[in-house]
Amino acid sequence: MNTFMQKYYQLKVQKTEYVTPTIKTFTFASESEKLPHFGAGSHISLKLPMGKRQYSLINDPLQDESEYTIAVKNVGTEGGGSSFLHHHVKPGETIEVASPENYFQIRTEARRHLFLAAGIGITPFLSMMAFLSHTGQSFDLYYAGSSASECAFYSTIKKRYPDQAHFYFMEREQKEKELQNVLRNQCIGTHIYICGPSAFMDHYITYCKGLGYPDENIHSERFRPSSTIQNPKAFQVTEEQSAKTLYVNSNQSLLEALIDEGITVPYACRMGVCGTCEVEVCNGSVLHNETFLTEEEKKEKMLACVSRGEGAITIKV
Amino acid sequence: MSNRTFPFPFTKDQYAYSNNSSILDPPWTLTVTEDYEKEITLKRKLLQQNHSRCFRSLPISIESQWEVMRLVFTQLSEAYPSHFSFTQKGKEFQFQNHLLNEEETFIFRDCTSIELEPMDLAGRHVQEDLILMGDRSDGLFLEAGQLCFPSNWSLAFVLGMEFKSIHYPVPGITDNGFIEKVGRFISRIRPNTAWERKNWSITISEKLDTPLETYADWGRMRQEVTEENAGELVHLRVEVQRLFRMPINHDILFSIHTYLLSLEELIKNEQWLMLFYRNIKTLDDDIADYKGISQYKKEMLGFVEKTMAEKEKMNR
Repeated sequence: MNTFMQKYYQLKVQKTEYVTPTIKTFTFASESEKLPHFGAGSHISLKLPMGKRQYSLINDPLQDESEYTIAVKNVGTEGGGSSFLHHHVKPGETIEVASPENYFQIRTEARRHLFLAAGIGITPFLSMMAFLSHTGQSFDLYYAGSSASECAFYSTIKKRYPDQAHFYFMEREQKEKELQNVLRNQCIGTHIYICGPSAFMDHYITYCKGLGYPDENIHSERFRPSSTIQNPKAFQVTEEQSAKTLYVNSNQSLLEALIDEGITVPYACRMGVCGTCEVEVCNGSVLHNETFLTEEEKKEKMLACVSRGEGAITIKV
Repeated sequence: MSNRTFPFPFTKDQYAYSNNSSILDPPWTLTVTEDYEKEITLKRKLLQQNHSRCFRSLPISIESQWEVMRLVFTQLSEAYPSHFSFTQKGKEFQFQNHLLNEEETFIFRDCTSIELEPMDLAGRHVQEDLILMGDRSDGLFLEAGQLCFPSNWSLAFVLGMEFKSIHYPVPGITDNGFIEKVGRFISRIRPNTAWERKNWSITISEKLDTPLETYADWGRMRQEVTEENAGELVHLRVEVQRLFRMPINHDILFSIHTYLLSLEELIKNEQWLMLFYRNIKTLDDDIADYKGISQYKKEMLGFVEKTMAEKEKMNR
């Protein structure tokens, strides 16, 4: 079963193009159906031989062109997704692509949007700036790179957003000084969006928090391997109320095992989204595999439908 | 309505709040029933007579309203291609409602191309009430709504309110963090995905429009229920509620399709009769009060018990 009812499309590579010596764009379209709309900041997942890889869409969300474009930097890792895309994916080929997701959406309520990009971290901001230009909202881009020639979409951005785009190609210390100065001088109600290498994001998120930006005004996105449990293992569960001990087989969920044993657990979605089948964890370690519980709640709760114990655990329904 | 298509809400013997949502595939948020023309006529009459009661919006909602309108027309034409068509020529969109023999044309996101706000226009072609919940960094806020058939609530009152505050009057809703959980569930609905849940109440007479603003007119009918007239007067009211994450603006469209079934019709289905009886019989007093049932619970149960006794006699 596909855990989140995500739809997959067989998409054809329409064209590829180098935008810098190491960054290449790929445009995908479907030959049989219209592709779903997406919002600014969305990404798609590509099924590649080495696993699923996520890339931000750089299209204009309001253009309605029924194609998806991504920009990929070849990070050069042998056997990596980016190297595979650069060397082996050519126009005319078909790739399996999941429908767009969005964990980096534009916050409509912002008085002003401030984008902080480093390197290939520019990609989500391309759809955001396109969208905000249509809706007439106030934004600025602060884009750090090593040089103009290695800065993806440098001339396009400069031309399209002459007043809003600011580039930083100087020495690191100088860059930091200037960017920090920008962050210190913003109006109340500004939302900050940060994307780039981990160290860059960590630095500026900490800096913004230090300046007193509310947590809900600071947004960032990092792509991580999805948390899906790859090879589910069997485990043992003791349920305290009924004092029953049972085994959950590798091909079975905790929820299914509890129900089979006659232990009543309310449930609904069975995909880790609704939170109905939450149970208390009294003992043991748990592999969480859902998107519902907060980090705090994960310390003492789990969702029986998708999360699993390791070895032996004790729960209370 | 007939009980053939009625979305009966009870599956268990006792009623309890739960996030009884299920995912929809395809993710359609609208349903056209045999009452389409009758309900559209009523809806438009209410909008004409009481516009500020039935439609409200905040300026922040306009982009999402456009998205709602395009979505409503797209889904109608996909789900009911013989009743509706939706086409695009260049910049201009054309929606045709073959059931009413009407046509709407507009340019997407151009407010001068239509005379009403987008959701106010789109809502006039569907039986559902449409509510737009803006997904903001500090919660889900009701930012626009076309609400003609509310079950004792007021759009004017809740406009701009946050999800949890809107539900505050529901008894016990904050127990065990229930409403926070539902809010969190909604905030995690993925783009282009729709979920459905059913909610129920009871309405006296076959009246869809029971807003808080006209309570004085319809609320007093609760005192008129007797064991003799309950079959005809008392209606089980079911709201099929759908939540859809709009992909472009990332807001939530909440559609409410209200169905009414008289007890007279309901009792024809013995399974429904049994479940209805057990749920009402065991209903907590505070929920019965909230749903307005307490005033006539005795009379209504009297009618149901009498019917059950008669059926049992006949089955013997």
